Amino acid sequence: MNGRIVRALLKKDFALFMSNRFYLLITVVAVVFYVGIYFILPSDVDEKLSLAMYAPTLPPAFSQLTTQDAAEIELFESEEELKQAVLDSDYQAAIALPADIMEVWAAGGKPQITVYYSAMAPPEISAAIVALVKELAYMQTGQALNFDTTEEVLGPDMLGDQIALRDRMRPLLAIFILLIEILTLASLIMVEIEQGTARALLVTSMRVSDLFIAKGILGVGLALGQAAFFMALVGGFSHQPLIILTTLIIGSLMVVGIGFLVASFSRDVMSVTGWGMLILILLAIPGFGTVIPGLLSDWTKVIPSYYLTDTVSRVANYGAGWGDIGTNLAILAGFTALVFWAGVVVLRRRYQ
Amino acid sequence: MADKSIIVKDLTYRYGKLLAVDHIDFDVDVGEILGLLGPNGAGKTTAVKMLTGQIRPQEGKAVLLGHDVVKETEKVQSVIGVCFEQTNLYEQMSALDNLKLFAELFGMKDFDGYALLKRVGLEGREKDKVANYSKGMKQRLMVARSLVNLPQIIFLDEPTAGLDPVSSDAIGNIILEERDRGATIFLTTHDMWEADKLCDRVAFMDQGKLAALDTPRNLKQQYGKRSLIAEVAAGDKLEKREIDMDVDSTALAVEKLFEKEKVVTLHSEEATLEDIFIKVTGRRLTE
Repeated sequence: MNGRIVRALLKKDFALFMSNRFYLLITVVAVVFYVGIYFILPSDVDEKLSLAMYAPTLPPAFSQLTTQDAAEIELFESEEELKQAVLDSDYQAAIALPADIMEVWAAGGKPQITVYYSAMAPPEISAAIVALVKELAYMQTGQALNFDTTEEVLGPDMLGDQIALRDRMRPLLAIFILLIEILTLASLIMVEIEQGTARALLVTSMRVSDLFIAKGILGVGLALGQAAFFMALVGGFSHQPLIILTTLIIGSLMVVGIGFLVASFSRDVMSVTGWGMLILILLAIPGFGTVIPGLLSDWTKVIPSYYLTDTVSRVANYGAGWGDIGTNLAILAGFTALVFWAGVVVLRRRYQ
Repeated sequence: MADKSIIVKDLTYRYGKLLAVDHIDFDVDVGEILGLLGPNGAGKTTAVKMLTGQIRPQEGKAVLLGHDVVKETEKVQSVIGVCFEQTNLYEQMSALDNLKLFAELFGMKDFDGYALLKRVGLEGREKDKVANYSKGMKQRLMVARSLVNLPQIIFLDEPTAGLDPVSSDAIGNIILEERDRGATIFLTTHDMWEADKLCDRVAFMDQGKLAALDTPRNLKQQYGKRSLIAEVAAGDKLEKREIDMDVDSTALAVEKLFEKEKVVTLHSEEATLEDIFIKVTGRRLTE
């Protein structure tokens, strides 16, 4: 690598980036827009207990629950309907009482009560439900009665990790910021190929590797700079900042590799926009899974960006550490190395 | 320093089945201006691409200033300047910044962009965006860019194509100044007048092959015809008479002309490079 040449190329690329009002506009607007979205979204979560109940035999004390302001309770006709309502995220938790509850209590036995939880239910809800049932049993019989509970989480188990919507959106917004740089970088490269300026560069004493290093630094700089700036503004570095930064760096390298690939198989700037948008939409899909857990099925794990958004989500929102996301980072780094290598090889052919 | 700036042996390049450059051989002396003439598609640009290290020859070799173009591409590219046929400037940057970028890439210390731009007639417009330049101004900037590293060999691919006479002359003068500095000029063109005026030797290229290579004078003597053209009075009209100068009886023919006719004008005429090209290849340069 020739530092002088790479510096000169970077200076030129940055000047071209700054002189292009479109790139500059979408860059600034995107960051402002995403930060704006984050702060507009509510920062707290709904604390009202949302509870569904299936009770073939409803003890009188339990029926009083339906009149409580602090709880939103609805009775269902069947246990299947009850489970579906929880799966559909209509309720955070549901209680299914056995048909013989009164008889079992009367006989001094322990009825089996099943509690279903939504994947997004907060941690304290489990203890709250049990306490609630105990209280109702006491109200019903005037003495503390025993019962057994079977707990089942419907959907991905993130019980207890209820996160404000805006914080769940953080990984999605961060990846949007990263991905948009695919378009910026690929367009900058394509303009150089279309206008023939790349040919002019390649008959100087510069090596092709210098060109790739300069483009790589520019791409990583633009993507990482904006994503890190966004994460800093929205508190994304409050847990394990080093992991978040590492993940964003790998993500930025992935974006550069994809940018190289898009530039190499596009015919012109319009083609870059078309291919770039297609890839951008595909790579953004896993981000929606962090906003609405359970929305996407396991197939999204074949999309490499899943390991980017999942890592950011688990670290920033759930306090995961290196050990928890090691596999994620390894897969992400592996894919990034592959796509970066492919991008360099194919784009080198295009330059020549 | 080597006596030869460029030595080309058996240079060949194919695009699929199309033989774009077909086993060509030639050499160029230090400080010489060589013109490569040929119609579009003759293989001129492909030849230049191989000589400047943009593409690898599939057969043969090219040595520039003692360096093999394939094995020592970087060394070669550090001592050459290339002016492309297609305008390929950074249009959103100023002319000065365009030159500074290439000066930095070549590692030119104390580079004076203003002086170079003044030399090509762009003084006062140094900081204007290139996008606002006329075609002639852009072409002059392209030539200036090829001179940034004080190259020992300058490749100019159709440098005056589509330019007005003033811009063409300006570029022609720069080419001659560079030759005087000691640089070797490799000029690719299909402008016969430009080649005749500027080049020490010209090479005709057609369908990938070199059809002829010599000085313009020798080519004209070898392939062309010299004539005397006279206009004579014929009543109220003027008629044209032509006397071949390449035969023994020329003097006698002139004497007879003056004896028998009233000569109004008389001038000599020689074959143009276009005529020679047609004679050698059977094709026109501008086909």
